[in-house]
Parts: sequence; structure tokens; C-alpha cells
Amino acid sequence: MDRFAYILRRLVQAVPVVIGVTVLVFFMIHLVPGDPARTMLGVHATPQKVAALHHEWGLDKSIPEQYKLFMGRLLHGNLGDSLFYHVSARDLIWQRLPVTLWLIAYGTVLSVLIALPLATIAATRKDAVRDQAVRVVPLIGLGFPPFWLGIMLLLAFGLHLGRHFPVGGYGDGLFGHLNSMFLPALTVALGIAPILIRSLRASLLQVLESDYITTARSKGIPERRVLLRHALRNAVSSTVSVLGVNIGFLVGGTVVIEQVFALPGIGQLMLNSIFQRDFPVVQGVTLVFGIMVVLVYLATDVVHSLLDPRVRFD
Amino acid sequence: MKTTAPVVLLVVCVVALAAGCGGSGGGSSGSGGGNSSAGAAQRGGTLVIDRSAESESMDKETVFDNESIWILEQIMEPLYTVAPDGKGVVPWLAKSYTLSSDKKTYTFHLRPGVKFSTGKAMTSADVKFSIDQARKASQGWGYLDTAIKDIEAPDPETVVVHTKFPWAPLLADIALFANGIVPKDYGGETAKEFYTHPVGTGPFKWNHWQHGVEIVLDRNPYYWQKGKPYLDHVIWKTVTDTNTRQLQLQGGQAQIDEFPDWQTVNTLENTPGIEMKLFPSTRTDYMMMNERYAPLADVHVRRAISYALDRNAMIKSVLFGNGEAANSFMPPQVPYYDKDSPGLQYDADKAKQEMSQSKYPNGFTVEMLIGAGVADEKSIGQIVQQELGKIGIKVVFKPVDPSVEFTNEQEFKYQLGLSYWTMDIADPDELVTFAVDPTSGAKSFYTDYNNANVVKWTHAAERTFSTGDRQKLYDDIQKQAAEDAFMAFLYYSPYRYAFSDKVHGFFVYPTGNYHMENVWLSK
Repeated sequence: MDRFAYILRRLVQAVPVVIGVTVLVFFMIHLVPGDPARTMLGVHATPQKVAALHHEWGLDKSIPEQYKLFMGRLLHGNLGDSLFYHVSARDLIWQRLPVTLWLIAYGTVLSVLIALPLATIAATRKDAVRDQAVRVVPLIGLGFPPFWLGIMLLLAFGLHLGRHFPVGGYGDGLFGHLNSMFLPALTVALGIAPILIRSLRASLLQVLESDYITTARSKGIPERRVLLRHALRNAVSSTVSVLGVNIGFLVGGTVVIEQVFALPGIGQLMLNSIFQRDFPVVQGVTLVFGIMVVLVYLATDVVHSLLDPRVRFD
Repeated sequence: MKTTAPVVLLVVCVVALAAGCGGSGGGSSGSGGGNSSAGAAQRGGTLVIDRSAESESMDKETVFDNESIWILEQIMEPLYTVAPDGKGVVPWLAKSYTLSSDKKTYTFHLRPGVKFSTGKAMTSADVKFSIDQARKASQGWGYLDTAIKDIEAPDPETVVVHTKFPWAPLLADIALFANGIVPKDYGGETAKEFYTHPVGTGPFKWNHWQHGVEIVLDRNPYYWQKGKPYLDHVIWKTVTDTNTRQLQLQGGQAQIDEFPDWQTVNTLENTPGIEMKLFPSTRTDYMMMNERYAPLADVHVRRAISYALDRNAMIKSVLFGNGEAANSFMPPQVPYYDKDSPGLQYDADKAKQEMSQSKYPNGFTVEMLIGAGVADEKSIGQIVQQELGKIGIKVVFKPVDPSVEFTNEQEFKYQLGLSYWTMDIADPDELVTFAVDPTSGAKSFYTDYNNANVVKWTHAAERTFSTGDRQKLYDDIQKQAAEDAFMAFLYYSPYRYAFSDKVHGFFVYPTGNYHMENVWLSK
């Protein structure tokens, strides 16, 4: 199977997952206690408004018919209007999406920048002091919840040790984004990096004991080249999967981080919309989160296939 | 006015609907607050206010949430406005008024030289249009203008308001933000279009609103108070996390932190560079007792419950000591409040005595509605459960989603419930009608309390213009309502704001609003 066919197959496999997400999102509205229309419209709602919303959502129809209507609107890119702001939920999400994508991308890059050298240092000197030191990092990193870590970073680098970074906000322009989002991205990275370090260190140790590495060394290839050209590529393959899974989790985790750092992303939008009972927006963001997770896993598989050709033939 | 924590939002909307949330700013120039020892006011600068919740709409005629109202009041102003102490109104876009001898015709004389932020002069035609639109808002604030029969604009600087009957609260009603003045015919736009970028005579004009992120207003160069406003821009940022708001204030990214956590009040008071202020508010918290549930129809039971509740324990638990036990259903900052009203206070012996006189001397079981996940309600509920247990009343919690909590109360699907009230106008009529008149839409705060004398006095007070006579009527109402214990009055709490010591002139009125034209930043 060639690379294109593999990607195509994975894309096709993603379709039922996305449909599953839409089903979950659709049924969210039926989990709201009481009459969802009345709940959403609040205490000021007249019976006419409630009836109009019932009609708009087709709540007077059967469940399969309602789902058909929901999907029909969805396929036209219509997520409905925000009940709080009275503007298109799609537009609200679209305006906020770049912030969340920035956070995820920036956090991922930082986590790799932290994990790669540390794992390599640890693996090349197994059981040495520096290995032990690096092995302690994950224990600490995994022990701190992101909201606490975020507040500590804000206190340290936004306030008490000098105002090096803004206390929250998205910033303007490329440099502004890089500056403003450094601490939230670092919070993200410190959550993921320990897992990557553990995974990569273990893989590297395994690979470094392989026969082909011994062969490479016996040929007189410099250790640095052996490590970077021969060992790391193989070792990193499994770590990519670990990273992918964690980015998937991170997509949901942005809700907390955006809240702590006052970042106007879709995570914060979702949380506020829950408090505001703005269910069309909650549905929309859930859908976007779901699709993002599917896409991240898809991208992970594709990258994995590029690094390790064997996976294309399984 | 409304709530501080998003989780309480729905509960509050309860009150917001009938009570309304909002109010208008008052204050003559130079009123109160902030830091007053910094010398002459300085021009310029951008003020950032970190607030706990997002605005809903800028439509003054229909919006009920305070986070919208407090901002739109900087753009659109009424003819009269609430005085700084909340006990009356002061002239604003009108300079004076006269009242006819039959007390049914108010003639307002407009302040000359007032312009909209577009540079166009405000006239009586704009005033007539604005109040007429507010009156039509059947899903909004129109109910407060129902005494108005019609409005005339005989000349550009005179507005005549005819009422259907003598109506003492009219000036207070006119001062409601919903009666703020906008250009006639919304300047040629539809209401919906207009309120996406409203225009008024206020100190600031519209810049933009990024939903969920920020609302930015710019200085109105045509403002009628010469030299004001001092600030070039005001930005309201939505930062829902209380820790982040505090850090942004300390870090200088924001100058005002709206509603810091109660538990941080003491810390902020001792933080260098930060001013922590508690402004007297009109918020009163209550425990509602549904008289359709037989035991609660017994006045001795209700009195026993009122006596049994330790208000100070609640204040300590929820407000960290920053409140006062309520002696009346009316708050101290509302006109005609009676500080001597005998609201039933914590007295365990009297509680037992009242229970023994009731039809339920051996107690009974009662359900208490609690908003699921609403921490304050849970804390109060636990105190209620513990205290009522001592007089034989077993309290069983009925947690419901906060979004349906008020609906349940409105539909009398509760036995005990928690709610609160804040004032929108500087007159008690709105609150009193809501609270004790079973024929009003709120059916006596959804308790079904019905005392014919109290109802009679309430309506008499609406048509009584003598201050002394009105005071007597409201004293009687407060005394009788307290003796009937139709609700357990719990506590009064202040508005809390933390701000940079560079902020001057910031003052929050008892109705919750503030006048940004008086605020300035020192360099």
C-alpha cells in the first residue's frame, strides 16, 4: 500500500468517528434538565419565544428527524446563533480558534524543544547523575496540575521576578503572540514534556542497544552522528504517537489554561458559554474540539508512517 | 443589579426580571470615591477594567444584566439620575421640572447645549422618542413606565410627561437607564442595528466589542460637562478567573478588578499600590418560604425559622465577615428604609417558643432548593439545615441545575429557596410591589404572602407625595412584613472593587453603577 492510499484509508476511517462526534453533540441538547428551549432562553422567555425555538430546532419532531435537520444545518456550516450574543456561533468560534491553535502549536513546539535534549542527555548516560536528574523532572512535572503551574508561572515571571511576560492576554502581531503566549505555552509544554522525556528516553535506550547501532559504532561513525542520524529517528517514531495522544488530551486541556491566562480561545469560549447556558456555542465548540482531536490523531498516524514505513503495511 | 459569580447568574436573574438589574449612575460632578488625595485631575490615558462576566447586549430597553447596563450607562444618559447615596435623584440631562397641581403632569426643562457624541444637538423630540421606545418594551423595562400616559415635546427644550394617575415614583422611574436618551428614530437605523454601536450623550462613545474579550469606549469630545471625561479610552475586559484578574491588577495590565473574591479582600487591603473598597450596595439576600406548602403558611413556623437562622454565621461563611444582618426586606441604601424595623433576628429561645405555638410543635420535613454547584447556596443551606434541625425542622436539600432554579421558584415548585434583590431605581416602590403584593407578577416574591393591609399601604405609598406620609407608610409595611416573616431576611452585602492607586474618582453607587466621567489616572 502506498503512502497516499494509507492516508486515504485513515481519512475514511475518521469519517465514522466524526459522525459519532456529531451524534454526541446532537444529544447534548437532550441532556439539559427540563425543556432545553426554556432553559436556554432563560426567565424572560415568552411562550411564543419558546415555541419559536422549538420549531427552529425541530424539537417537536422525532429524534431521527431532529438529527437529520441538525446534520443538514451542519453540512451548510450553520451551527445556529449564540443565545447570549445573538450572533452566529460559527463566527464566534472562528474568531477564537486561532488563539487555541496558537496555544496548542506553541506548547507542542516548546514541549519537543524541552524533551528532545533532556531525553537524549539522559539516554546517553544511563544511570549517571544527569540521567537520574532528568528522570526526576517527569515526576515533578506530572505532579502539578496545569492551573496551579500556570498561576505559579504568572506570579514568578509576570509579577515577582520582574514583569518579563504579560499576565494573560493574546498580544498583537507575531512577536506579541510569541511574548504573550509564552507562559501559557510553557504550562502546556511542562505538562507534556515529562511524558515525552520518559517515552523518548526508554526508546532511545532500547535503540542504542540494537545490533545496527553497535555495527555503526564499530564502523567508526562518530557517536554524535550515530545518535542523531541512526538512533534518534527510530526512537522518535513511538514518541510521535505518545505526543499525538497527548495533543489530543491537550485540546480539551486548553479550557483550563485559557481560563487561567485570560486567553480568548475556544476553550474559554466553551467554559463561559456553559455558564451562560449558550448551548449552540457549546455544541459548536465541542464539535470543533472533536474534529481537532480526530485531525491530530490522523496527522500523528501520517507522521508515524513517514518515520516508520512498516506501519503502512499493517 | 446582578451577581458576582457566573454560577449564581440564573438565581439572580430571578430577581433581575422583576426587580430588574441596573440603575443609573448618579452623582453630581466630582462625586466620591477612588483616591481623592492626588490633586488636580489629569487628562488622558486608557483605563482597563477586568470584570468577572461578559455583557449580553447594549439594548438599554431590554437588557437585564448589570455587566451590560453599567457599560451602556456611559453612553446613554437619562433626564435625572440616582444620587450618590442612592436615596434620591439629581438633575442630569434635564435641569429641572415642575409638577402640576393635580400631580399628573411633569414638565421637564432640558439642559441647554447637550449634544450626542455625533455632534448633533439633543432635543425634546429625541427624549420623547427614547422614553416612548422604552415604554413599548414589553419584554424589557416597559413595566416601570406603565404610569406614563403620554409624552409631548412642545418645544425643543421642554418635555411634558402625563401620567395616568398621580405617581410618586415617576422621577425615579425616569432616571432608570432604560429611559436613557438616544437620537430620534435611532438616527435612521433599526433598533437592532443601532444597539450594535449605540449613540448617546454620555461621556464615552462606542468603539468596538469583541464578544467575550473586550468592549472599548472612547472619549466623547462633545460631552456636556466641560473638561470631562478625563480618560481617552475605557476598556472592559472579560477575565472570569478571579486569580488572573487579581494578578493583572497587580501586574499593571488592568487598573480595576471587579468583584475580587471575598476571601481576598483582607489581602488586597494590605497590598501596596492597590486600593480595596467596599461600596454600600442595595443587595439583600433572602430565604423564600413558599406559603403553598402548609407548614410554611403558619406564621409561627415562619417566625420560628426566621429566629432560628444565625445570620452572622452566614456572613462569616459566605462574605468572610463583610456584610450585615438584614433587619428589613428593604436595604439601608433605599429611600424610606427603616433602620428600626424589627426584622426577626437570631434568637434560639424565641425560635423554640414560636414553634411550640405553631400547628407543628413536633416539627416537619421541608425541602430546600439549592443550585447544584453554587457554593454560596450550599454553605447557607448547611447552616439552615443545622439551625432548623435544632427546632425540629428537618431540611432536605433538593439540588437543581441553576438554570432551572428560578423557574422552579416562579412556578412555586419549591418549599424553601434562596434569592436576592438589588435596586434599579431610587424609590422603594419597585421592590415593595414585587415583594409584598400577591397580585403583582411576582406574587409576593413567589411566596404567596398576602396581607391586605400591607397591599393597601403599598398602593397608597405610590400615590403619596409627602415625604413624611410616605415614610410612615413604608415604616408600617416594613414592620408588618417583618412580623409576618414572609421571608427570612438574611444579610446586606457591599460591592467590592480593587483598583490601582493611580485610579482616582472611581465610586460605585448603591445601585451598582459608576460614573466614568469622574475617573482619571495619575501618571
